[in-house]
Amino acid sequence: MPRLVPALVGLALLLSTALVPADARAGSGNVVIVLNSGEDTISILDQTTMTEVARVPAGREPHHLMPTPDGRELIIANARSNDMIFVDPRKGGEIRRLRGIADPYQIGFSPDGKWFVSNSLRLDRVDVYDAQTYERVARFRGLSTPSHMSFSADSRYVFVSLQDSGELAAIDLTTKEVAWKVAVGPGAAGVLTTEDDRFVYVGIMGSDYVSVVDWRERKVVDRIRTGRGAHNVFLIPGDKRNVLVSNRLSSNVSIVDTETRQVVRQIPVPGGPDCLVFNADGSQIWVTGRWSHKVYVVDMRTFQVLRSIPVGRSPHGIYLHVDPTS
Amino acid sequence: MTEIWALVGTVQQWTFEWVVGPFLFAIGEAIYLEEAFNALEGVIVGLFALIVIYLVVRPLEIWRPVERWADQRAVRTDVIYTMINHLGVVPLALFILLDPLERQFHALLDDFGMVPWTLDQTFPALQAWPVATMVIYVFVFDFFEYWRHRFQHRLTWWWSLHALHHSQTQMTLWTDTRNHLLDDVIRHVWLVTVALLVGAPPASYLLVVVLIMAVESLSHANVRLSFGSIGDRLVVSPLFHRVHHAVEQSGARWGCNFAVLFPVWDILFRTARYDRGYLPTGIMPDGEPDYGDGFWRQQVVGVVRLAKALVGRAPPSPTADAVRDAR
Ligand SMILES: [Zn+2]
Ligand SMILES: [Zn+2]
Repeated sequence: MPRLVPALVGLALLLSTALVPADARAGSGNVVIVLNSGEDTISILDQTTMTEVARVPAGREPHHLMPTPDGRELIIANARSNDMIFVDPRKGGEIRRLRGIADPYQIGFSPDGKWFVSNSLRLDRVDVYDAQTYERVARFRGLSTPSHMSFSADSRYVFVSLQDSGELAAIDLTTKEVAWKVAVGPGAAGVLTTEDDRFVYVGIMGSDYVSVVDWRERKVVDRIRTGRGAHNVFLIPGDKRNVLVSNRLSSNVSIVDTETRQVVRQIPVPGGPDCLVFNADGSQIWVTGRWSHKVYVVDMRTFQVLRSIPVGRSPHGIYLHVDPTS
Repeated sequence: MTEIWALVGTVQQWTFEWVVGPFLFAIGEAIYLEEAFNALEGVIVGLFALIVIYLVVRPLEIWRPVERWADQRAVRTDVIYTMINHLGVVPLALFILLDPLERQFHALLDDFGMVPWTLDQTFPALQAWPVATMVIYVFVFDFFEYWRHRFQHRLTWWWSLHALHHSQTQMTLWTDTRNHLLDDVIRHVWLVTVALLVGAPPASYLLVVVLIMAVESLSHANVRLSFGSIGDRLVVSPLFHRVHHAVEQSGARWGCNFAVLFPVWDILFRTARYDRGYLPTGIMPDGEPDYGDGFWRQQVVGVVRLAKALVGRAPPSPTADAVRDAR
């Protein structure tokens, strides 16, 4: 034993100074970055060849990712290792790490860039940080399994879905208080503030619909049936009228008209579609298939799956880099 | 390995999309989709391990058995233990029971500014060698498993539960999972605590889980098999663990070979014995001969024994003070 301890300490010091290479071996083209939440890795895909070019380690259970407001870094939130990795959004190489962020399951910046919000699904809390310094300024306890989030356009409220209690909570970021909660449905998941800032759409994973909340009136005004396991809701770039909804159990993506509140098209996407992103010209969506361990590229003109790309286990968050210079 | 992973993934996806998911939806519990999907992976890996174990270890038992029994009813009880453990019943129950507590405990720690870390996040260079990382985690966890096992024998109340594992006189590859359910609860809490200290091991662990299950089953197998004088010091063999289960070792004087995977801990802490042969297994009848036959009876008897131990009316652990005497 006595000789083992210094040896281990020496090894530890050696390992802590050696760093992961700053750039993953990405191809020449623009990348798509996928978080494999079930195997603690990041897949780096090439947009042009639609193949996986590298798979690199992440923290424990990376679920969601998003660029910083200045677009220079991409934040990968590792829920189970309580840290965030900041990577180069063009290549995926690690820039820095931020530890001591408790269970960052879903993250978001307020539109004014002032606040950084982290939902701790496992720890039943929402933490608000100063977006410049990542110093925590407020903590909201007793919110049951906070899952996804969206903001009001004026950055005053962050709307947080509470999965197990089936509610939507509004947290006032100016007074740092929970302003109100409203019941929306079992397994409240994805949250999206509509383009006109009037409604909040909440995917109801425990059922087959999206709840439409008039957030100023604080009540559910409509339910739109999209598919079983309705999960996340997405804006369509350049389209102020329609949104997309991923349905994890019926394995499709619904196009929903926000004016008529009708499903105008069902796009079959296999494997439990979860998060999705548009490509630069809006002609494709890239969708993570949680159950099938694949990413699907769907042509949004023909609504056909162009390619399925095998990635790691339980792929969740996905980011597609658009190079402003190209 | 990649192919096996892919196969597990395909089976998992198919079972989930066609059976588990629709079932959860039908009973109105679809909010647990993700938990169920993850649990399913454990079941499939367990099933896979079971097949590997049966195909590899069972032929060894037929080939060179240590003992032959006319009546194998006692063995069938152990088969039940193995099924409910490897096919997810016990792990699922533990998860449902203990995950809320674990979450609350983590939240409490976080309130005091203690945010758990992981070994390989703290030393990122480790991540370049996933196999080495895994080996380190396995060693660290095995170290804590050794000490848990020492305490199971040393503490009277804990022995009252662990005795069930040792009461088997027809020890086979199925005996590994023969543990009192309360002991399973304690083990789970213990492992969660260890994970808090050193970090949870990485998620890509299929081969490791299967290997560990296989070694543990093999070490209980009814087979004359040693890995040789060097091998028995590297990995726990059927001979090595049989000595731990020997009736003579269970008496009030002994206790040795506690390691689960790597005998190095027994060697380091001076509890290893390599001077014994293939001995009959069981516990010396020292006033507590009834450990029950059949799953439910064993569970009830175990609780009664624990209650007695807690009020101080049980015989002390047969191995208390044994380690010192053994040398
Ligand atoms: Zn024992
Ligand atoms: Zn044993």
